Parts: sequence; C-alpha cells; structure tokens
Amino acid sequence: MERFKWVPALLVMILVLSGCNGFTTGGSGAEEVEAENGKVTLDFWTFWGSEIRRPIIEQIIEDFNNSQDEIEVKHTFVPWGDIWTKELAAIAAGDPPDVVINDINATALRGKNQQAENLSKYLEEDDISGDFYEELWNATLYEGDSYGIPFNTDTRVLFYNKDAFEEAGLDPEQPPETWEELWEYAEKLDVKNGDKYDRLGFYPMFGVQTDVWMMNADQVNFVDENSEVKINTPAKLETLEWLNKWHEKYGADNINSWQAQMESQQANPFFSGDLAMLVQQPTFYTQIRDYAPDLNFGVALLPEKEPGNGHTSWGGGFVAEIPAGAKNPDASWEFIKYLTGKEAQEYWAVKNFDNVANIEAAESAASSDEFNDNGKMVYELAVEAMPLTMLTPTSLAAPDYMTLVNSEFDNVYLGKKTPEQALEDAQAAVEKLIEKNGN
Amino acid sequence: MAGKRRFNYKTREGLQGYLFILPWIIGFIVFTAGPLLFSFAASFTNYNVTSQMDFIGLSNYERLFSGDQLFWTSLYNTLYYVLFSVPLTTIGAIFLSALLNRDIPGMRLFRTIYYLPAVLSGVGVYLLWMQLLEPGTGMVNTVLAWFGIQGPNWLFDPEWTKPALIFMKLWSVGGGMLLYLASMQGISKSLYEAAEIDGANAWQQFTRITIPMITPVIFFDIVTSLIGGFQIFQEAYVMSNGEGGPVNSMLFYNLYMWQKAFEAFDMGYAMAMSWILFVIVFALTIVNLKLAPKWVHYEGGGK
Repeated sequence: MERFKWVPALLVMILVLSGCNGFTTGGSGAEEVEAENGKVTLDFWTFWGSEIRRPIIEQIIEDFNNSQDEIEVKHTFVPWGDIWTKELAAIAAGDPPDVVINDINATALRGKNQQAENLSKYLEEDDISGDFYEELWNATLYEGDSYGIPFNTDTRVLFYNKDAFEEAGLDPEQPPETWEELWEYAEKLDVKNGDKYDRLGFYPMFGVQTDVWMMNADQVNFVDENSEVKINTPAKLETLEWLNKWHEKYGADNINSWQAQMESQQANPFFSGDLAMLVQQPTFYTQIRDYAPDLNFGVALLPEKEPGNGHTSWGGGFVAEIPAGAKNPDASWEFIKYLTGKEAQEYWAVKNFDNVANIEAAESAASSDEFNDNGKMVYELAVEAMPLTMLTPTSLAAPDYMTLVNSEFDNVYLGKKTPEQALEDAQAAVEKLIEKNGN
Repeated sequence: MAGKRRFNYKTREGLQGYLFILPWIIGFIVFTAGPLLFSFAASFTNYNVTSQMDFIGLSNYERLFSGDQLFWTSLYNTLYYVLFSVPLTTIGAIFLSALLNRDIPGMRLFRTIYYLPAVLSGVGVYLLWMQLLEPGTGMVNTVLAWFGIQGPNWLFDPEWTKPALIFMKLWSVGGGMLLYLASMQGISKSLYEAAEIDGANAWQQFTRITIPMITPVIFFDIVTSLIGGFQIFQEAYVMSNGEGGPVNSMLFYNLYMWQKAFEAFDMGYAMAMSWILFVIVFALTIVNLKLAPKWVHYEGGGK
C-alpha cells in the first residue's frame, strides 16, 4: 500500500491541470523597449506575417518613423490564432502593446468591456470620422464613443466566367442582376454528366454563408442594435427556402465534393472554368492573377432579391486601436492617425490589392497605375460595392449567438427541419440566450 | 549537537525529500493552485477580465443548467467522444503492442513506423486529416471505394464528424502502444514457458498471463486518456474553424468554454463551466480508483 500512496495525489494534480487548461494564455510577449534619444517607442501588434503583407506594413511603419522624430514604432508579429487572447492577457497584466490591429465587428464589445481606450478626446480635437465609410465607422462606436479606427475592410462581389457565359448563349457583359436571373443563368451554365456536373453554374453558399444572403434580402442583422432578435422574418424565411432550393438542385454529395476543391487554392474550379459564377472577396482577384492569368472573367455587384431591393453585400474588417492601459496613448493616437490616413491607406490598398476604410484612399487606389485592366475593373467595382456593404457587429447582448443560429441552418440543408421550423427555433434560442444573459 | 537530536533519521529524510521537490511545490502553488482558486472564486462573478467582477452568486451555474442548450450539446459531444475513444484506443494500443511484441527480423522498423504518428502532432496533422477525410477525393474514401464501400461525408455530416475524430485519434495509438510494449517485455518468460508445458494455447497465454500482468499500465492509460478525452479542443477548433462543425456536432466542452471566454468575454461563466468539468472528471477518476483493486494486478502484492 505504502508504495502507491502518491497515486491519488498525482491524480488530483492531473485533474487540477485538466480543470483550468482552457485558460492557458501565452505570456505577454511585449517587451519594454527603452526609448532611444528621448523618442517614445511604441509596440505595434499585427497578425500580418505573410510574405506579402509583412513587408507592406513594415514599410508603412518605416515611413511613419522617418516622417517625424518623436515616435519610434516597432512591429511585433503575433500569429492570427494567438493575437487577441494574448492581447487580453497583456491588458489584464497591465502591460499591453501600444497599438493593436483587432476585429472591427467586436469593437463596441471591447469598448463596453473597457479593453480598448476611448478615442473621443482625440476625435474632439481632430475629427477624422468623415474620412471613413459610415458603416465601418459606426461599428467602432459604443454609446457614441469610438474605440478603434477602421483600417482595412472587405466586401463580397460576384465573379463570373465570360467564356462560359458565351458558350451558354448568355451576354458576357450582362451579369445576373436578381436572384431569379441568377437561377436562370445557372441552369443554362450547368453542364450535367449523369449525377455529376462537368460545369456547375452557381452555388450561393460557396464563398459566403446563409447569413449574407439573408442580409442581402432584408438588410437587417439577426440581432439589431436594440437587442431585438430579427431571425424569423418573412424575408429571411424566403431566403432560406431559396437557398434550400439550390441545395436540393445540386445535392449534398456534389456540393461537398466541390466545396472541398474550393478550399485548396490552386485547384479552385473557378480557375479551370468548371464553376461559372462565384461570390468572393475582391482580393480573390489576386488568386486569379496568380493561378489562372488567362481566365476571361468579369465582376458584378451581388444580385438583388428583387429589382429595386438593393445589391446589399457583406463585409468585415479590422481597426487599429489602443489597448486599455497602454503607456503612451497620445503617441499611439499619432501613429493610428498615420496608419488610417490617406497616404498609408492608399499604399496598403495598392500593394495588397485590399479594400481600405479611408474613402479618399480607396477611390484614388481604384485608378492607380499599378493595377492592370483586370485589376482596375475589380477594384473599381469593390469601391462601388463599399457603400452597399453591411457589417455584422457583434451583439452586445449575445456576442456568441451565431453558434445557435448556424446549426439551425445546417438542419435545413440536411433535411432535418423545415425552413419555418428552423427559423422559429433559432429565433427562440437567441431570445432565450439574450434573456439569460440578463440584458 | 542539539540540531542532530531534534530530527530523527526518518524526519530528516522526509525534509530532504521536500527540499528536492520544493521547486515543483512552489510552481504548483503559484501557477496552478493560485489560478485554480481564482477561477473558483470568479465562477461566482460576472468577471470579464478587464472591467467587471461583481459577485452574482450561483447565477452562472443556474444559467448553465437551466437555460443553455449548447452546454448540454457540448457535454453530450464530449461524453460521446470519451465513451468511444477511450476503450477503442486502449484496445487498439494493446492489440498493436501484442503484435509488435514478437521476435521477427525487422521488428524495430515496424515499431518505429507505428510509433511515428504519436510523434507528429498539432495543427499540421489535423490539416492533413482534413484532406484524407475529404469525401470526394480523400485517401480514406478512395481506399474504402476499392472495397466497394461508399465512404461517408466525414466532416460534413453531423453523424460522422465525431467518428471521424475518433478514427483520427486511433491513428496515433503509438504512444499508448509504447507503454504496453515496455510492460509486456517486462513479463517473465518463465510464466509463458510454464503455461506452454501445461498446454495453454496462445490465446489463453494472452488472456491469462499478458493481460493480468499489464493491468497497472492499462489502469494508467485509461485514467490519463479519460482525462485527455474530456479535454479535446484543438482537433475541433482547427477542423471546424472554431465554430463547432455541422449542427454543432464538434462543439466539444472545451471549445464551447473557449467561445464563452474569448468570444463572448463571459469569463465568469466559462470558469463555472470549467468547474463542472472538473467535478465530472474528478468523480470519474474516484470511481476508477475505487474499481482498480478489483482488476488491477500488482506484482509482488505491493498494493
């Protein structure tokens, strides 16, 4: 017996470790950098470590450092999967970075939780709110105060294969305008081969999900700013029925095997002409440029539900913000202003082929000489789509409600629930979550 | 002189022992017991890391049990996973080590090959498996098709996502295999020789000698893989993009806890969840410890 007395004790230790494993967050990473020659040194965290993005953000930082002699910014790359949990731990430890790039949709939630500094006192002196797309700016507000300045953004547009259009007897200069046309065109573009397809016309849930089409239909988020749940609405029901029709048309087997191909970049069936139309971010153009340079394609706004309903699209993006408790907020603000100013934004837009939040920068990037004709075509359309693009700001009353909603949509496509039943259940589940959260 | 008399030999040895494990004890108190107690206290608050920590009594626990369907979903998913993965990996590892416990040429090579998956781990492996399990062109379904079997839509079909993860887990039984193999090699040859003389066949030798002799390792393996099974997180996080997969079929307990902690910033709630998991795992381990004397055989009777 004596020999094994330690066994229970050891097990308790293991249990202890298992119990709190979910909270292991990395250490703060940010090192205090001693200021040289009286300069203020800022630690700037981004998740842009790729071969393409890193040199661009570092060039912007260098330009800023050279533009004045009071602030020196140092870039810290933190991987996507870690950056915000690390930042949260650093804030809690009282040693946060000075500027961080964060998700635009949860900016208000971070403001509410006081994870980020309130920028109103800077904006009172220096109102830059008008420089950005309104939808983006509004997403940064909590009770009227801004907690982050929009940096980059995106939207969703329709890419289509002009050669396939011509083959199917469609006018390559007339992309589909409405959901009805989308369906008709897809029927014409489909090339069936037994149960399988040699060419797929269009499937609305490659590239985007159910929620984007629902927003396209009624321009209302699932939970609105007053914490009212707007899931079970007539327009959303029609959308779900319409999407389910597509799902039944092609069948789960075809959809799953095509979906898997979409995920491997180079083998995307759109590049080989096997998929005629696809909803994607404008940056998808860079993949076409790199992997399928000869593809004859066009771009269009997202089709609208009915004529006059609006070509509403969906996007996200990132803000530059000052974590709560940062040591030199004034200097951080100066840097953020530079980062979101026209010059840096235009450089980012052109070099990355990315949508930026600064309107003036976005518009002048669209006519940049660095883009070729196709690049210009896509970028111009992206800029045109921006004012029609909605965000999905995190609901303060129920930040994580999408887990409840997505599974109900899955149930419809799996044939386990009718669209009516699914929306009713999703509506009830989210209402209950909000009620339980005590808001 | 007085110092020598103050401690007898036994006490002195004990104190020396504590001295040696002091770094570990300090580490435990500071980095484990501290956060543990903190999380217990904070589970009764609306803690969100940065701005609030008000005492709200049992409200987190009440919300969990009375109004959170995803809590039950995640608990069900986790129990399902544990219930199948623990016995299957244990049996798999014993079976494999029995096969690899033979004296044939080239055995070292086989052992290395079967152990390799246990060395590989992390996100790379999960991404690899996502390709292997891809329904149309993935290797797994391609091989099944050779035998005329139409493979399932593994990670897309909610009925098959958890079996897919268990299947993936079985691929890396090499870690457990190593323990069993070491234990099997320690079994005295004379036992088998005696059995052979008495006319026992291979199966009888396996069930009457090998299995009883390795029960301490089986016990250890079951306890640790049970705890590990309840902690499943990474697989689901990577393979479902942190969302929980179709119809939340991969929303495991720790994944849901992570969502509550770092997406909803409802840290108090997440801490309450972690304590419920703690109690469940603790209870199961107690049961295991109580049952152990009935089937675990320690050589030399040193129980």
